[in-house]
Amino acid sequence: MSLPSVVPPPPTDEGALTAEQQRYYAASQWQLIWWRLRKHRLAMVACWVLMALYAMIPFVEFVSPYAVRSRHQDSVYFPPQRIHFFHDGEFLGPFVYGHTMTINMENLRREYQEDRSRRYRVRLLVRGEPYRMWGAFPSDLHLFGVEEGGTLFLLGTDRLGRDMLSRTIYGARISLTVGLLGITVSFVLALILGGLSGYRGGWVDIAIQRLIEVIRAFPELPLWMALSAALPPRLDPILVYVGITVILGVIEWTGLARSVRGKLLAVREEDFVTGAILVGASTAYVIRKHLLPAFTSHLIVSATLSIPRMILGETALSFLGLGLRPPITSWGVLLSEAQNINAVALYPWLLLPVGMVVLTILSFNFFGDGLRDAADPYA
Amino acid sequence: MMRWTLALVIGMLGLVAPAGPVRGAEEPPSLAARVAAGELPPLAQRLPKRPLAVKTDPEAVYGGDLRMLIGTPKDLKLAFVYGYSRLVRFDRNYQIVPDIAERVDVKEGRSFTFHLRRGHRWSDGAPFTSADFAYFWEHIANNKKLSPAGPPQLLMLDGEPPTVEFPDAWTVRYSWSKPHNLFLLDQAGAYPALLYRPAHYLNKFHEAFTDAETLAKRAKAERRRNWAALHNARDAMYLMDNPDLPTLQPWRPKVAPPAQVYFAERNPYFHRVDQQGRQLPYIDRLKMLLVDKAVISVKSSSGEVDLQARYLNFDQYPFLKKNERLGGYHVYLWPTATTAAVALFPNLNAKDPVVRALFQDRRFRQALSLAIDREEVNKVLFFGFGAAGQNTVLRSPGGREAPRLHHAQYDLARANRLLDEVGLTRRDAREFRLRPDGKRLDIIVETSGESSQESDVLELIADTWAEIGIELLIRPSQREVFRRRVFSGEAMMSVWGGEFGLPTPDMSPSWLAPVSEEQLQWSQWGLHFESKGERGQPPTLPAAERLVELYRRWLVSTERAERARIWDEMLEINAEEVFTIGILGNSLQPVVVANGLRGVPEKAIYAWDPGAHFGYINLDTLYWAGGHR
Amino acid sequence: MLRYVIYRLLLMIPTLLLISLVTFTIIELPPGTYLDSLISELRASGETADLQKVEFLRKQYGLDQPVWVQYWRWLSGLLQGDLGYSFEYDRPVSAIIGEHLAMTMVISIAAILFTWMVALPIGVYSATHKYSGADHGLTLLSFMGLAMPDFLLALVLMFVAFSVFGVSVGGLFSPEMQAAPWGWAKILDLLKHLWLPVLVIGGSSTAAMIRRLRANLLDELKKPYVVTARAKGVPPWRLLIKYPLRIAFNPFISDIGNLLPHVISGSVIVSIVLSLPTTGPVLLRALRTQDMHLAGSFLMLLALLAVIGVLVSDLALAMLDPRIRQGGGRSR
Repeated sequence: MSLPSVVPPPPTDEGALTAEQQRYYAASQWQLIWWRLRKHRLAMVACWVLMALYAMIPFVEFVSPYAVRSRHQDSVYFPPQRIHFFHDGEFLGPFVYGHTMTINMENLRREYQEDRSRRYRVRLLVRGEPYRMWGAFPSDLHLFGVEEGGTLFLLGTDRLGRDMLSRTIYGARISLTVGLLGITVSFVLALILGGLSGYRGGWVDIAIQRLIEVIRAFPELPLWMALSAALPPRLDPILVYVGITVILGVIEWTGLARSVRGKLLAVREEDFVTGAILVGASTAYVIRKHLLPAFTSHLIVSATLSIPRMILGETALSFLGLGLRPPITSWGVLLSEAQNINAVALYPWLLLPVGMVVLTILSFNFFGDGLRDAADPYA
Repeated sequence: MMRWTLALVIGMLGLVAPAGPVRGAEEPPSLAARVAAGELPPLAQRLPKRPLAVKTDPEAVYGGDLRMLIGTPKDLKLAFVYGYSRLVRFDRNYQIVPDIAERVDVKEGRSFTFHLRRGHRWSDGAPFTSADFAYFWEHIANNKKLSPAGPPQLLMLDGEPPTVEFPDAWTVRYSWSKPHNLFLLDQAGAYPALLYRPAHYLNKFHEAFTDAETLAKRAKAERRRNWAALHNARDAMYLMDNPDLPTLQPWRPKVAPPAQVYFAERNPYFHRVDQQGRQLPYIDRLKMLLVDKAVISVKSSSGEVDLQARYLNFDQYPFLKKNERLGGYHVYLWPTATTAAVALFPNLNAKDPVVRALFQDRRFRQALSLAIDREEVNKVLFFGFGAAGQNTVLRSPGGREAPRLHHAQYDLARANRLLDEVGLTRRDAREFRLRPDGKRLDIIVETSGESSQESDVLELIADTWAEIGIELLIRPSQREVFRRRVFSGEAMMSVWGGEFGLPTPDMSPSWLAPVSEEQLQWSQWGLHFESKGERGQPPTLPAAERLVELYRRWLVSTERAERARIWDEMLEINAEEVFTIGILGNSLQPVVVANGLRGVPEKAIYAWDPGAHFGYINLDTLYWAGGHR
Repeated sequence: MLRYVIYRLLLMIPTLLLISLVTFTIIELPPGTYLDSLISELRASGETADLQKVEFLRKQYGLDQPVWVQYWRWLSGLLQGDLGYSFEYDRPVSAIIGEHLAMTMVISIAAILFTWMVALPIGVYSATHKYSGADHGLTLLSFMGLAMPDFLLALVLMFVAFSVFGVSVGGLFSPEMQAAPWGWAKILDLLKHLWLPVLVIGGSSTAAMIRRLRANLLDELKKPYVVTARAKGVPPWRLLIKYPLRIAFNPFISDIGNLLPHVISGSVIVSIVLSLPTTGPVLLRALRTQDMHLAGSFLMLLALLAVIGVLVSDLALAMLDPRIRQGGGRSR
């Protein structure tokens, strides 16, 4: 078993700095963090994944092969389709086979047989089902799709014959933004309350501290449940969405606030702050120029690690039927529709949105972890 | 009136054995030991002088448990519902026949005399007499503390209480000044207004029979506020969660909540016998296991139940079918005979005047109905098993053909024409029609949020309605909120199920007329009728007024043929007016039956009222081949 | 010290009072009352004869009283130790919580033990073999544990257990053992069924604990005193356990207090999926039906435990970490 070494590298020639070292010492805080982050491979991969996911959000209509509500009544509960490249040994480029459906009236199940005589090419940038980008601009261009007459259900279909891949992609829009919006709410609350608490001290500090502690100690789910159950159930879906994000945000802010307060307390005593005050800087100036930069990186890290908790929170609430509900599509809603033994035993592909949730959360965790390591000046 | 009595007499003759129990009929083996030890009187003394003889399988033998799964302690009532021991009951053809009562005399449809069975005893051996009816009427129904709202609604005919008489220990008579056609229907229902109680047990908790001090002590011991709360808690005839309460059902509860497993054991004083004079039930015990509702389908498929339908639904059928061999059971599909598994209820009493005007226009409703592709819904969600059509009966009680397909074809052209006729010709940029006031014609459908099937159907309908320029928006809600919004007029349209689709002329056509606040399509009109004009609003459509008038006539009609005619006319009006928009009827219910359990028909109708789900197939006649599983 | 404890105890009172107000408001917020839910349920299932009883209940439970009267009744009951009456179950709240409490605690404590027993060695190994293959693998695994929604894990595992092992799913006992009296056989049966909920519930907290322990331990291992001790020849294991591990583990000990409310509430969603007889599903149903006393009193119980737990944590930390006693800061 080895213990890590703490011996610093030997110094270079006295006085003289190489060009690289000069750059290093002159670099801003953010550049330093970025350089260190780059070395952390896993975090970078996670970063790309997240950027891809979030970049996709404005274009979900374009990226999905089908529109969100499109149904195929002859393809109900269709298992995931495979893209083939070779037919009878011959390379044909990506394509899918046609299929025929028979209903087994004994078992009341639909059975699909592959029809190898019908082949449909899979292409990029196809004209498919019409949709309205952002609800306003009509178009029918899809990132990829299948030629006329064929079907492309890469993740299978659900009980109404809706393509699961498309629904999952559309669901990303809601689930991922819930995290972002929720974290904004948290951030604001944390900065204000944590800042007050740390900077003012006194009984304000004590009161807020107690509040934070109680909220933190309270089990999450009962709190979520209670607040969600209080939401008027007949609300406009947009308002429900906002309500859920606010609820999640209101419960998450405590962790951030604690960090804010802790950092403020620590940094407040630093000499450079005392120096600034002595020179006559106003409170606002001190906060803005000296205190904030000292712990912004920490806040960002905390925020990054809170987002997955919010996504899981939305998933959990929708799963329980307290959060978003159909016809809104979010990952939580998709999973709640898969929450029965039918899905698990007969149509397991309905559970695939779990993969997306896991991927997103893993990415946030790796990225946040890497960011934390990079931002920590003592590591 | 003659027909009534005739029917009852015939029913009675068909079932009553010529004399008392056959001498030497065997004791149920599980009771034999107790009888031999003298703890229980012998069979001849436990049965009433003239028990009800029921036709059963001659090969039936005694023995065994019947396992079922329940999802909440409230489901203990199933021992009462499935036991289906009533004053009068429905037989397999939905005719009302006597059960606990030996005979019922009906005079002019307004006077009902129940003749009890001499020697009929409660499950603890105490005699069952008219005194038990008297106790209920005098000390419960008319006791202000126990019944602050007065006697049960059923007994108050238009606010008039019945004249209740007890000519002797075996006779009870209820009479009103007008015919009461709902009375026997209710008594044969799954959950009737119970007119009798075990007086000898309950009077221990009543202030008129026990001194205040004892009562206060008892109440305190059970953490009840006062004697009335105590009495109410003990009086669990329906809920069956009080093992000390005597009952007349085939099985009596032995376990009180809280528990995971609930047993109900055979009632040694049960009043029904088979044709060899053997006392029913054959099965010794009901065993109900309390589990989470979500796992009931899984547990049913793994052989943990003997008879299960509750909490199983149609989309679990493929899974249940798949595991038949492994689980050792068969799964049947019973028709539910509903008029509509899913139906839309436009709110004719909507607050918004524009919406209200549109919904009250028959052409608008017809158009909405014509723009629904019922065959597609049938194919996608019900494998084609549903009965596509209007929210109306499957078989007309009057014998005419059921008007299922009026305005229920899929005809977009006609629908569009009708909407144009109504005047909704302006469209917006997205081709949706505009209301007269310029706003887009959105129809917001509210659901109780409990059934994903409802949402699915709505999704399918939304697509075809878009073709006639109407946007359907779905708003899931919660049951009580949803109800309240419908009643207040804030909800535009709602989704719910239908009614029983195989009625006889004797059954109530109340759902066809605006007579109750609970009706989602016209709750204010219904409230007006219910409150006798004090609240709500009177119907503004002549068709609706006619329906109310017809219903009033049905309530007092004493002739079967007349009642059938009234039914037919009400059905015709509803078919033409399309007050509710039905999609598919006669959905199917999976029923899991363990191998070896005999007596469960492969096809029966699974309905709550009439039929009490498993009630009317007579659970007491089921038996295990070989006497055990 | 004593003064501090008394001061904190006194602070608890206004805190709890405020919480009770908030709780009551939240539960009563949805329009309507419990009776409305009951009425609609009765109507929907065709049990209209029971509507008479509803009137009776309305008077009994004072649901026709104004809101603040109801609040006062409930609160005064709480102060006397009376948790109120559940409309839904028609029994005192204390009885309902009580009968679910035992099983909830069994599962929660088992999950906690599992978490500690698994996370501790793995966390230590991971820290001391930083960036090794095993570390990366374990990191990945623990993150996946954090990422996977536990209720879905439950569903999938349940199916696997059923189809592969033939184990009866849902609940904590096989159907035959359900009604049996307590004995060795029943305990064995319980253990057979316990592994699934414990695995699922303990899974994500194990992952979190591994991460945290690893991070804390790494921080400690970098400190100069460790290098000094190594240089002086202290055997690595003894060194590890005596100093860095103790410090790194401090936060977990002090967090014991925070575990208290979680032990009582169990893991709600997993309980629902696996149909465990714990308090979680009870609470969910109570919130849905606005069973005021059951939901409110239970939440208050959790709040009380939360507040006490925080106090316990602080005291424990103060006792364990001399730096705090001396007025310094907390470690992570």
